[in-house]
Amino acid sequence: MDERGKMSGKELGGQEKTSSLTDENPEESIIKALLDAFPTAVTDFKKLGKGVVRARIERRDLFKACMFMRDSQGFEHLSMISAVEYDSRFELVYHITSYQHKLFLELITTTPKEDPSVDSVSSVWGGADWQERESFDLMGIKFNNHPKLERILLPKDFTYHPLRKDFKG
Amino acid sequence: MAEMWINMGPQHPMTHGLWNLRIKVDGETIVDAEPEVGYLHRGIEKLCEDRTYTQIIPITDRLCYGSSLTWSHLYCLAVEDLMGVEVPPRAEYIRVAAIEMQRIASHQMWLAAYAADLGLMLGFIYSMRDREIFIDLLQALSGSRITYNFPRIGGVAHDVPPNFERDSLRACAFMEKKLDEYEDIYDGSKVFMLRNEGVGVLKKSDAMNLGVTGPPLRASGVKYDLRKDMPYSVYPEMEFEPATHGDGDCYARFRVRMDEMRESCKIIRQAVTKMPKGKTRIVAPRNAPVGTGLGRVEDPRGEGVMYVVGDGTDKPYRLKIRSPIFVTVSAAPKILVGYKVADVVAIMGGLDMCIGETDR
Repeated sequence: MDERGKMSGKELGGQEKTSSLTDENPEESIIKALLDAFPTAVTDFKKLGKGVVRARIERRDLFKACMFMRDSQGFEHLSMISAVEYDSRFELVYHITSYQHKLFLELITTTPKEDPSVDSVSSVWGGADWQERESFDLMGIKFNNHPKLERILLPKDFTYHPLRKDFKG
Repeated sequence: MAEMWINMGPQHPMTHGLWNLRIKVDGETIVDAEPEVGYLHRGIEKLCEDRTYTQIIPITDRLCYGSSLTWSHLYCLAVEDLMGVEVPPRAEYIRVAAIEMQRIASHQMWLAAYAADLGLMLGFIYSMRDREIFIDLLQALSGSRITYNFPRIGGVAHDVPPNFERDSLRACAFMEKKLDEYEDIYDGSKVFMLRNEGVGVLKKSDAMNLGVTGPPLRASGVKYDLRKDMPYSVYPEMEFEPATHGDGDCYARFRVRMDEMRESCKIIRQAVTKMPKGKTRIVAPRNAPVGTGLGRVEDPRGEGVMYVVGDGTDKPYRLKIRSPIFVTVSAAPKILVGYKVADVVAIMGGLDMCIGETDR
Protein backbone atom coordinates (compact mmCIF):
# COMPACT_ATOMS: atom_id res chain seq x y z
CA MET A 1 0.00 0.00 0.00
CA ASP A 2 2.83 2.38 0.93
CA GLU A 3 4.61 1.77 -2.36
CA ARG A 4 1.46 2.53 -4.29
CA GLY A 5 1.02 5.69 -2.29
CA LYS A 6 4.52 6.86 -3.08
CA MET A 7 4.12 6.04 -6.73
CA SER A 8 0.94 7.97 -7.14
CA GLY A 9 2.55 10.80 -5.22
CA LYS A 10 5.46 10.93 -7.67
CA GLU A 11 3.17 10.80 -10.66
CA LEU A 12 1.10 13.54 -9.20
CA GLY A 13 4.14 15.68 -8.40
CA GLY A 14 5.16 15.45 -12.04
CA GLN A 15 1.73 16.54 -13.17
CA GLU A 16 1.75 19.35 -10.69
CA LYS A 17 4.94 20.84 -12.07
CA THR A 18 3.74 20.79 -15.65
CA SER A 19 0.44 22.45 -14.84
CA SER A 20 0.96 25.27 -12.36
CA LEU A 21 -2.61 26.55 -12.64
CA THR A 22 -4.10 24.65 -9.75
CA ASP A 23 -7.22 26.82 -9.74
CA GLU A 24 -8.08 25.54 -13.16
CA ASN A 25 -7.49 21.99 -11.98
CA PRO A 26 -9.53 21.79 -8.79
CA GLU A 27 -9.42 17.99 -8.90
CA GLU A 28 -5.63 18.00 -8.74
CA SER A 29 -5.46 20.54 -5.97
CA ILE A 30 -7.77 18.36 -3.87
CA ILE A 31 -5.56 15.34 -4.49
CA LYS A 32 -2.48 17.36 -3.60
CA ALA A 33 -4.00 18.68 -0.40
CA LEU A 34 -5.03 15.19 0.71
CA LEU A 35 -1.62 13.80 -0.13
CA ASP A 36 0.21 16.55 1.73
CA ALA A 37 -1.87 16.00 4.85
CA PHE A 38 -1.86 12.18 4.79
CA PRO A 39 1.19 11.09 2.80
CA THR A 40 1.08 7.40 3.67
CA ALA A 41 -2.60 6.74 4.20
CA VAL A 42 -4.01 7.95 0.90
CA THR A 43 -3.57 5.88 -2.26
CA ASP A 44 -5.02 5.12 -5.65
CA PHE A 45 -6.23 8.42 -7.04
CA LYS A 46 -8.40 8.74 -10.05
CA LYS A 47 -10.19 11.61 -11.68
CA LEU A 48 -13.55 10.15 -12.65
CA GLY A 49 -14.99 13.14 -14.43
CA LYS A 50 -15.30 16.89 -14.24
CA GLY A 51 -15.12 17.74 -10.55
CA VAL A 52 -15.24 14.09 -9.44
CA VAL A 53 -12.27 12.46 -7.70
CA ARG A 54 -11.76 9.04 -6.18
CA ALA A 55 -9.23 8.20 -3.48
CA ARG A 56 -8.59 5.32 -1.10
CA ILE A 57 -7.68 5.86 2.51
CA GLU A 58 -6.56 3.68 5.43
CA ARG A 59 -9.34 3.30 7.94
CA ARG A 60 -7.23 4.52 10.90
CA ASP A 61 -6.99 7.95 9.24
CA LEU A 62 -10.55 8.17 7.96
CA PHE A 63 -11.92 10.37 10.73
CA LYS A 64 -8.97 12.79 10.60
CA ALA A 65 -9.20 12.96 6.83
CA CYS A 66 -12.93 13.75 6.96
CA MET A 67 -12.30 16.47 9.54
CA PHE A 68 -9.57 17.85 7.29
CA MET A 69 -11.78 17.79 4.22
CA ARG A 70 -14.55 19.64 6.00
CA ASP A 71 -12.48 22.26 7.79
CA SER A 72 -9.75 23.16 5.33
CA GLN A 73 -11.07 21.99 1.96
CA GLY A 74 -14.67 23.19 2.21
CA PHE A 75 -16.50 19.86 1.88
CA GLU A 76 -19.68 20.76 3.77
CA HIS A 77 -21.92 17.91 2.79
CA LEU A 78 -21.76 14.14 3.09
CA SER A 79 -23.89 12.74 0.29
CA MET A 80 -23.84 9.04 0.91
CA ILE A 81 -22.19 6.21 2.81
CA SER A 82 -22.31 2.87 1.01
CA ALA A 83 -21.13 -0.39 2.52
CA VAL A 84 -20.15 -3.09 0.03
CA GLU A 85 -19.22 -6.65 0.94
CA TYR A 86 -16.49 -8.39 -1.03
CA ASP A 87 -15.05 -11.86 -0.59
CA SER A 88 -12.37 -10.91 1.91
CA ARG A 89 -13.26 -7.40 3.03
CA PHE A 90 -15.91 -4.73 3.50
CA GLU A 91 -15.58 -1.48 1.62
CA LEU A 92 -17.11 1.73 2.87
CA VAL A 93 -17.57 4.38 0.23
CA TYR A 94 -18.04 7.98 1.34
CA HIS A 95 -19.34 10.41 -1.23
CA ILE A 96 -18.55 13.94 -0.12
CA THR A 97 -19.66 17.19 -1.75
CA SER A 98 -18.23 20.68 -1.68
CA TYR A 99 -20.95 23.24 -2.30
CA GLN A 100 -18.53 26.15 -2.70
CA HIS A 101 -16.03 24.46 -5.04
CA LYS A 102 -18.59 22.24 -6.85
CA LEU A 103 -16.49 19.16 -6.21
CA PHE A 104 -17.41 15.58 -5.46
CA LEU A 105 -15.03 13.21 -3.71
CA GLU A 106 -15.35 9.45 -3.48
CA LEU A 107 -13.39 8.28 -0.44
CA ILE A 108 -13.05 4.51 -0.08
CA THR A 109 -11.87 2.70 3.02
CA THR A 110 -11.56 -1.01 3.71
CA THR A 111 -12.25 -3.04 6.83
CA PRO A 112 -11.40 -6.73 7.33
CA LYS A 113 -14.18 -9.33 7.58
CA GLU A 114 -13.31 -10.30 11.15
CA ASP A 115 -13.55 -6.74 12.47
CA PRO A 116 -15.99 -4.68 10.42
CA SER A 117 -15.61 -1.41 12.27
CA VAL A 118 -14.66 2.15 11.43
CA ASP A 119 -14.68 5.50 13.22
CA SER A 120 -17.99 7.32 13.02
CA VAL A 121 -18.01 10.62 11.15
CA SER A 122 -21.36 11.72 12.54
CA SER A 123 -19.61 14.39 14.62
CA VAL A 124 -18.10 15.79 11.41
CA TRP A 125 -21.30 15.77 9.37
CA GLY A 126 -24.61 15.42 11.18
CA GLY A 127 -26.07 13.88 8.03
CA ALA A 128 -23.89 10.81 8.58
CA ASP A 129 -25.80 9.79 11.70
CA TRP A 130 -28.69 7.94 10.10
CA GLN A 131 -26.66 6.71 7.16
CA GLU A 132 -24.24 5.00 9.52
CA ARG A 133 -27.13 3.47 11.39
CA GLU A 134 -28.44 2.16 8.09
CA SER A 135 -25.07 0.57 7.25
CA PHE A 136 -24.99 -0.99 10.71
CA ASP A 137 -28.53 -2.26 10.33
CA LEU A 138 -28.27 -3.77 6.87
CA MET A 139 -24.58 -4.66 6.61
CA GLY A 140 -23.42 -4.99 10.21
CA ILE A 141 -20.61 -2.42 10.16
CA LYS A 142 -19.78 -1.06 13.62
CA PHE A 143 -19.15 2.67 13.85
CA ASN A 144 -16.98 3.61 16.82
CA ASN A 145 -18.14 6.61 18.87
CA HIS A 146 -21.53 6.78 17.18
CA PRO A 147 -24.06 8.48 19.51
CA LYS A 148 -26.82 5.93 18.96
CA LEU A 149 -25.90 2.87 16.96
CA GLU A 150 -29.23 1.06 16.71
CA ARG A 151 -31.21 -0.59 13.97
CA ILE A 152 -33.18 1.93 11.96
CA LEU A 153 -35.08 0.25 9.13
CA LEU A 154 -35.53 -3.22 10.61
CA PRO A 155 -37.16 -4.17 13.94
CA LYS A 156 -34.94 -3.96 17.00
CA ASP A 157 -35.09 -7.71 17.66
CA PHE A 158 -33.99 -8.69 14.15
CA THR A 159 -30.87 -10.87 14.33
CA TYR A 160 -29.45 -10.72 10.79
CA HIS A 161 -27.76 -8.15 8.58
CA PRO A 162 -29.67 -8.80 5.37
CA LEU A 163 -27.40 -7.13 2.80
CA ARG A 164 -24.57 -9.54 3.59
CA LYS A 165 -24.06 -12.14 0.91
CA ASP A 166 -24.48 -15.08 3.29
CA PHE A 167 -28.03 -13.97 4.13
CA LYS A 168 -30.49 -15.74 1.88
CA GLY A 169 -33.98 -14.32 2.21
CA MET B 1 -45.23 21.19 33.62
CA ALA B 2 -43.99 17.62 33.28
CA GLU B 3 -42.39 16.72 29.96
CA MET B 4 -43.77 13.77 28.06
CA TRP B 5 -43.33 11.86 24.82
CA ILE B 6 -46.15 11.86 22.26
CA ASN B 7 -46.40 9.60 19.22
CA MET B 8 -47.54 11.36 16.06
CA GLY B 9 -48.06 8.39 13.81
CA PRO B 10 -47.80 5.82 12.32
CA GLN B 11 -51.47 6.58 11.67
CA HIS B 12 -51.75 10.34 11.65
CA PRO B 13 -52.94 12.77 8.95
CA MET B 14 -49.64 14.68 9.27
CA THR B 15 -47.40 11.77 8.27
CA HIS B 16 -48.41 11.25 4.61
CA GLY B 17 -47.28 7.67 4.72
CA LEU B 18 -46.30 5.15 7.31
CA TRP B 19 -43.81 6.60 9.77
CA ASN B 20 -43.82 7.78 13.31
CA LEU B 21 -42.71 11.08 14.76
CA ARG B 22 -42.10 10.95 18.50
CA ILE B 23 -42.04 14.37 20.07
CA LYS B 24 -41.21 15.33 23.63
CA VAL B 25 -43.37 18.21 24.76
CA ASP B 26 -43.33 20.63 27.63
CA GLY B 27 -46.88 21.89 27.56
CA GLU B 28 -47.32 22.97 23.94
CA THR B 29 -43.62 23.46 23.22
CA ILE B 30 -41.50 20.79 21.56
CA VAL B 31 -38.27 20.12 23.47
CA ASP B 32 -37.08 17.03 21.63
CA ALA B 33 -38.11 14.94 18.64
CA GLU B 34 -37.25 11.59 17.15
CA PRO B 35 -38.51 10.34 13.79
CA GLU B 36 -38.95 6.58 13.41
CA VAL B 37 -38.90 5.08 9.94
CA GLY B 38 -38.77 1.57 8.52
CA TYR B 39 -42.43 0.60 8.41
CA LEU B 40 -42.30 0.31 4.61
CA HIS B 41 -38.89 -1.36 4.27
CA ARG B 42 -39.15 -3.78 1.36
CA GLY B 43 -35.48 -4.62 0.94
CA ILE B 44 -35.23 -3.18 -2.56
CA GLU B 45 -31.42 -3.10 -2.45
CA LYS B 46 -31.29 -6.82 -1.66
CA LEU B 47 -34.00 -7.59 -4.22
CA CYS B 48 -32.00 -5.87 -6.95
CA GLU B 49 -29.02 -8.16 -6.35
CA ASP B 50 -31.14 -11.03 -7.64
CA ARG B 51 -32.55 -9.36 -10.76
CA THR B 52 -30.98 -8.57 -14.13
CA TYR B 53 -30.17 -4.96 -14.97
CA THR B 54 -33.26 -4.57 -17.16
CA GLN B 55 -35.61 -6.15 -14.63
CA ILE B 56 -34.60 -3.57 -12.03
CA ILE B 57 -36.01 -0.57 -13.95
CA PRO B 58 -39.65 -1.22 -12.91
CA ILE B 59 -38.50 -1.93 -9.33
CA THR B 60 -36.80 1.46 -9.04
CA ASP B 61 -40.06 3.02 -10.21
CA ARG B 62 -41.60 1.76 -6.97
CA LEU B 63 -39.19 3.80 -4.85
CA CYS B 64 -41.36 6.87 -4.83
CA TYR B 65 -44.99 7.16 -5.81
CA GLY B 66 -44.69 10.92 -6.25
CA SER B 67 -41.82 11.01 -8.69
CA SER B 68 -41.15 7.51 -9.94
CA LEU B 69 -39.64 8.65 -13.21
CA THR B 70 -36.66 10.38 -11.58
CA TRP B 71 -35.71 7.15 -9.84
CA SER B 72 -35.76 4.95 -12.92
CA HIS B 73 -33.88 7.71 -14.74
CA LEU B 74 -31.30 7.83 -11.95
CA TYR B 75 -30.90 4.06 -12.06
CA CYS B 76 -30.33 4.16 -15.81
CA LEU B 77 -27.74 6.94 -15.38
CA ALA B 78 -25.82 4.86 -12.83
CA VAL B 79 -25.85 1.72 -14.97
CA GLU B 80 -24.89 3.68 -18.09
CA ASP B 81 -21.94 5.07 -16.14
CA LEU B 82 -20.96 1.53 -15.17
CA MET B 83 -21.33 0.13 -18.70
CA GLY B 84 -19.93 3.17 -20.48
CA VAL B 85 -23.03 3.54 -22.67
CA GLU B 86 -23.63 6.79 -24.57
CA VAL B 87 -27.27 7.80 -24.84
CA PRO B 88 -28.49 9.25 -28.19
CA PRO B 89 -29.21 13.02 -27.97
CA ARG B 90 -32.89 12.69 -28.82
CA ALA B 91 -33.36 10.29 -25.92
CA GLU B 92 -31.65 12.75 -23.57
CA TYR B 93 -34.05 15.51 -24.58
CA ILE B 94 -37.06 13.23 -24.13
CA ARG B 95 -35.76 12.25 -20.70
CA VAL B 96 -35.25 15.84 -19.61
CA ALA B 97 -38.73 16.85 -20.79
CA ALA B 98 -40.24 13.86 -19.00
CA ILE B 99 -38.43 14.34 -15.67
CA GLU B 100 -39.32 18.01 -15.59
CA MET B 101 -42.97 17.11 -16.14
CA GLN B 102 -42.56 14.65 -13.32
CA ARG B 103 -41.05 17.38 -11.15
CA ILE B 104 -44.07 19.63 -11.71
CA ALA B 105 -46.46 16.76 -11.02
CA SER B 106 -44.55 15.92 -7.83
CA HIS B 107 -44.46 19.51 -6.59
CA GLN B 108 -48.16 19.84 -7.37
CA MET B 109 -48.90 16.77 -5.30
CA TRP B 110 -46.81 18.21 -2.49
CA LEU B 111 -48.68 21.50 -2.77
CA ALA B 112 -52.03 19.71 -2.66
CA ALA B 113 -51.08 17.79 0.48
CA TYR B 114 -49.52 20.87 2.08
CA ALA B 115 -52.57 23.02 1.41
CA ALA B 116 -54.88 20.38 2.86
CA ASP B 117 -52.61 20.14 5.94
CA LEU B 118 -52.88 23.85 6.53
CA GLY B 119 -56.61 24.01 6.09
CA LEU B 120 -56.91 25.17 2.49
CA MET B 121 -59.04 22.47 0.87
CA LEU B 122 -59.33 24.74 -2.16
CA GLY B 123 -55.60 24.42 -2.79
CA PHE B 124 -55.84 20.64 -2.60
CA ILE B 125 -58.58 20.44 -5.22
CA TYR B 126 -56.92 22.96 -7.56
CA SER B 127 -53.50 21.32 -7.44
CA MET B 128 -54.82 17.80 -7.94
CA ARG B 129 -56.86 19.03 -10.90
CA ASP B 130 -54.04 20.92 -12.63
CA ARG B 131 -51.53 18.16 -12.01
CA GLU B 132 -53.60 15.93 -14.27
CA ILE B 133 -52.42 17.83 -17.36
CA PHE B 134 -48.87 16.66 -16.85
CA ILE B 135 -49.88 13.18 -15.75
CA ASP B 136 -51.87 12.91 -19.00
CA LEU B 137 -48.82 13.98 -20.98
CA LEU B 138 -46.69 11.38 -19.23
CA GLN B 139 -49.39 8.82 -19.87
CA ALA B 140 -49.35 9.65 -23.56
CA LEU B 141 -45.56 9.32 -23.46
CA SER B 142 -45.17 6.13 -21.49
CA GLY B 143 -48.57 4.45 -21.18
CA SER B 144 -49.04 4.62 -17.42
CA ARG B 145 -49.83 7.20 -14.81
CA ILE B 146 -47.77 6.47 -11.69
CA THR B 147 -45.03 3.94 -12.36
CA TYR B 148 -43.92 4.77 -15.87
CA ASN B 149 -41.17 2.22 -16.60
CA PHE B 150 -40.07 4.56 -19.38
CA PRO B 151 -36.26 5.07 -19.34
CA ARG B 152 -34.08 2.26 -20.61
CA ILE B 153 -30.38 1.57 -20.23
CA GLY B 154 -29.13 3.42 -23.31
CA GLY B 155 -32.16 5.57 -24.08
CA VAL B 156 -35.91 5.59 -23.57
CA ALA B 157 -38.56 2.97 -24.29
CA HIS B 158 -39.98 4.64 -27.40
CA ASP B 159 -40.31 7.92 -29.24
CA VAL B 160 -42.73 10.69 -28.30
CA PRO B 161 -46.38 10.37 -29.38
CA PRO B 162 -47.84 12.59 -32.17
CA ASN B 163 -48.43 16.24 -31.21
CA PHE B 164 -46.32 15.88 -28.06
CA GLU B 165 -44.55 19.19 -28.66
CA ARG B 166 -47.79 21.08 -29.18
CA ASP B 167 -49.43 19.54 -26.12
CA SER B 168 -46.39 20.15 -23.92
CA LEU B 169 -46.24 23.82 -24.90
CA ARG B 170 -49.93 24.21 -24.17
CA ALA B 171 -49.52 22.48 -20.81
CA CYS B 172 -46.65 24.81 -19.86
CA ALA B 173 -48.64 27.90 -20.78
CA PHE B 174 -51.59 26.56 -18.79
CA MET B 175 -49.43 25.80 -15.76
CA GLU B 176 -47.77 29.21 -15.72
CA LYS B 177 -51.19 30.86 -15.73
CA LYS B 178 -52.32 28.60 -12.89
CA LEU B 179 -49.19 29.34 -10.84
CA ASP B 180 -50.04 33.04 -10.89
CA GLU B 181 -53.49 32.09 -9.65
CA TYR B 182 -52.03 29.98 -6.84
CA GLU B 183 -49.82 32.79 -5.66
CA ASP B 184 -52.88 34.99 -5.26
CA ILE B 185 -54.66 32.22 -3.35
CA TYR B 186 -51.81 31.36 -0.99
CA ASP B 187 -50.24 34.75 -0.42
CA GLY B 188 -53.71 36.20 0.07
CA SER B 189 -54.64 33.63 2.69
CA LYS B 190 -54.09 34.93 6.18
CA VAL B 191 -54.19 31.45 7.71
CA PHE B 192 -51.61 30.12 5.28
CA MET B 193 -49.21 32.99 5.88
CA LEU B 194 -49.61 32.87 9.67
CA ARG B 195 -48.75 29.19 9.76
CA ASN B 196 -45.80 29.56 7.38
CA GLU B 197 -43.88 32.73 7.97
CA GLY B 198 -41.13 32.39 10.56
CA VAL B 199 -42.05 28.79 11.34
CA GLY B 200 -39.48 25.99 11.18
CA VAL B 201 -36.40 28.08 10.54
CA LEU B 202 -33.40 26.02 9.43
CA LYS B 203 -30.09 27.87 9.49
CA LYS B 204 -27.77 27.67 6.50
CA SER B 205 -24.93 26.03 8.45
CA ASP B 206 -27.27 23.41 9.94
CA ALA B 207 -28.83 22.67 6.57
CA MET B 208 -25.43 21.97 5.04
CA ASN B 209 -24.08 19.96 7.96
CA LEU B 210 -27.17 17.81 8.48
CA GLY B 211 -27.23 16.70 4.86
CA VAL B 212 -30.48 18.45 3.95
CA THR B 213 -30.74 18.70 0.16
CA GLY B 214 -33.11 19.93 -2.51
CA PRO B 215 -35.72 22.63 -1.95
CA PRO B 216 -35.19 22.83 1.86
CA LEU B 217 -31.46 23.42 1.30
CA ARG B 218 -32.05 26.11 -1.31
CA ALA B 219 -34.68 27.68 0.92
CA SER B 220 -31.96 28.06 3.58
CA GLY B 221 -29.88 30.16 1.22
CA VAL B 222 -27.48 27.63 -0.32
CA LYS B 223 -27.43 28.05 -4.05
CA TYR B 224 -26.72 24.50 -5.11
CA ASP B 225 -28.69 22.66 -7.73
CA LEU B 226 -27.19 19.55 -9.30
CA ARG B 227 -28.83 20.39 -12.61
CA LYS B 228 -26.73 23.53 -12.72
CA ASP B 229 -23.65 22.82 -10.62
CA MET B 230 -22.90 19.23 -11.59
CA PRO B 231 -24.95 18.93 -14.77
CA TYR B 232 -25.99 15.56 -16.14
CA SER B 233 -27.93 14.67 -19.30
CA VAL B 234 -28.50 17.79 -21.47
CA TYR B 235 -29.04 20.28 -18.66
CA PRO B 236 -25.97 22.36 -19.66
CA GLU B 237 -27.84 23.33 -22.83
CA MET B 238 -30.93 24.51 -20.96
CA GLU B 239 -31.37 28.05 -19.74
CA PHE B 240 -32.83 28.26 -16.26
CA GLU B 241 -32.08 29.67 -12.86
CA PRO B 242 -32.24 27.48 -9.73
CA ALA B 243 -34.68 28.94 -7.21
CA THR B 244 -33.26 30.07 -3.88
CA HIS B 245 -34.56 31.93 -0.87
CA GLY B 246 -32.74 33.21 2.17
CA ASP B 247 -35.17 32.88 5.06
CA GLY B 248 -35.08 29.13 5.67
CA ASP B 249 -38.62 28.97 7.06
CA CYS B 250 -41.66 27.09 5.79
CA TYR B 251 -42.68 29.95 3.56
CA ALA B 252 -39.24 29.96 1.90
CA ARG B 253 -39.62 26.25 1.11
CA PHE B 254 -43.03 26.95 -0.39
CA ARG B 255 -41.58 29.79 -2.49
CA VAL B 256 -38.66 27.70 -3.73
CA ARG B 257 -40.96 24.97 -4.95
CA MET B 258 -43.31 27.44 -6.64
CA ASP B 259 -40.38 29.04 -8.45
CA GLU B 260 -39.02 25.64 -9.40
CA MET B 261 -42.26 24.80 -11.16
CA ARG B 262 -41.90 27.92 -13.30
CA GLU B 263 -38.31 27.01 -14.14
CA SER B 264 -39.43 23.49 -15.02
CA CYS B 265 -41.94 24.95 -17.47
CA LYS B 266 -39.06 26.84 -19.10
CA ILE B 267 -36.97 23.69 -19.34
CA ILE B 268 -39.79 21.62 -20.84
CA ARG B 269 -40.39 24.31 -23.44
CA GLN B 270 -36.71 24.32 -24.45
CA ALA B 271 -36.44 20.54 -24.41
CA VAL B 272 -39.42 19.87 -26.67
CA THR B 273 -38.55 22.58 -29.18
CA LYS B 274 -34.80 21.87 -29.36
CA MET B 275 -35.28 18.10 -29.59
CA PRO B 276 -33.07 16.78 -32.42
CA LYS B 277 -34.08 13.99 -34.81
CA GLY B 278 -32.53 10.57 -34.49
CA LYS B 279 -32.54 7.33 -32.58
CA THR B 280 -34.14 7.12 -29.15
CA ARG B 281 -32.33 4.05 -27.90
CA ILE B 282 -29.21 2.04 -28.42
CA VAL B 283 -28.78 -1.58 -27.47
CA ALA B 284 -26.93 -1.82 -24.19
CA PRO B 285 -24.80 -4.84 -23.33
CA ARG B 286 -26.46 -7.50 -21.22
CA ASN B 287 -23.53 -7.92 -18.84
CA ALA B 288 -21.89 -5.07 -17.01
CA PRO B 289 -18.09 -4.97 -16.60
CA VAL B 290 -16.34 -5.30 -13.24
CA GLY B 291 -16.32 -1.86 -11.67
CA THR B 292 -18.52 0.79 -10.16
CA GLY B 293 -20.98 3.28 -11.56
CA LEU B 294 -22.46 6.38 -10.03
CA GLY B 295 -25.58 8.36 -10.86
CA ARG B 296 -26.51 11.62 -9.23
CA VAL B 297 -29.63 13.67 -9.94
CA GLU B 298 -31.66 16.49 -8.50
CA ASP B 299 -34.79 14.69 -7.44
CA PRO B 300 -37.86 16.88 -6.64
CA ARG B 301 -37.06 16.14 -2.97
CA GLY B 302 -33.30 16.55 -3.01
CA GLU B 303 -30.15 14.81 -4.05
CA GLY B 304 -30.67 11.25 -5.28
CA VAL B 305 -27.57 9.10 -5.70
CA MET B 306 -27.16 5.52 -6.83
CA TYR B 307 -23.93 3.57 -6.55
CA VAL B 308 -23.84 0.33 -8.49
CA VAL B 309 -21.12 -2.32 -8.34
CA GLY B 310 -20.84 -4.67 -11.30
CA ASP B 311 -19.11 -8.06 -11.21
CA GLY B 312 -19.17 -9.04 -14.90
CA THR B 313 -22.52 -10.83 -14.79
CA ASP B 314 -25.96 -9.62 -15.83
CA LYS B 315 -26.94 -8.82 -12.23
CA PRO B 316 -25.58 -5.98 -10.08
CA TYR B 317 -23.33 -7.09 -7.24
CA ARG B 318 -24.55 -4.24 -5.07
CA LEU B 319 -26.89 -1.32 -5.61
CA LYS B 320 -26.89 1.42 -3.02
CA ILE B 321 -29.63 4.03 -3.11
CA ARG B 322 -29.32 7.39 -1.44
CA SER B 323 -32.72 8.71 -0.56
CA PRO B 324 -32.88 12.48 -0.03
CA ILE B 325 -35.77 12.32 2.42
CA PHE B 326 -34.12 9.66 4.58
CA VAL B 327 -31.37 12.15 5.41
CA THR B 328 -33.58 15.24 5.46
CA VAL B 329 -35.97 13.73 8.01
CA SER B 330 -33.05 12.95 10.31
CA ALA B 331 -32.63 16.73 10.57
CA ALA B 332 -36.25 17.12 11.73
CA PRO B 333 -35.40 17.41 15.46
CA LYS B 334 -33.17 20.40 14.72
CA ILE B 335 -36.01 22.17 12.91
CA LEU B 336 -38.80 21.20 15.30
CA VAL B 337 -37.32 22.03 18.70
CA GLY B 338 -38.68 25.28 20.11
CA TYR B 339 -41.88 25.38 18.07
CA LYS B 340 -45.40 24.45 19.13
CA VAL B 341 -47.15 21.14 18.50
CA ALA B 342 -49.45 22.84 15.99
CA ASP B 343 -46.41 23.81 13.88
CA VAL B 344 -45.36 20.18 13.37
CA VAL B 345 -47.84 19.82 10.52
CA ALA B 346 -46.45 22.81 8.63
CA ILE B 347 -42.81 21.91 9.27
CA MET B 348 -42.99 18.24 8.34
CA GLY B 349 -45.34 19.02 5.44
CA GLY B 350 -42.80 21.50 4.12
CA LEU B 351 -40.14 18.79 3.88
CA ASP B 352 -42.25 16.76 1.42
CA MET B 353 -41.98 13.28 2.90
CA CYS B 354 -42.08 10.25 0.65
CA ILE B 355 -41.91 7.00 2.57
CA GLY B 356 -41.31 4.71 -0.40
CA GLU B 357 -37.82 6.06 -0.97
CA THR B 358 -37.07 6.67 2.71
CA ASP B 359 -37.51 3.05 3.71
CA ARG B 360 -36.59 1.42 0.37
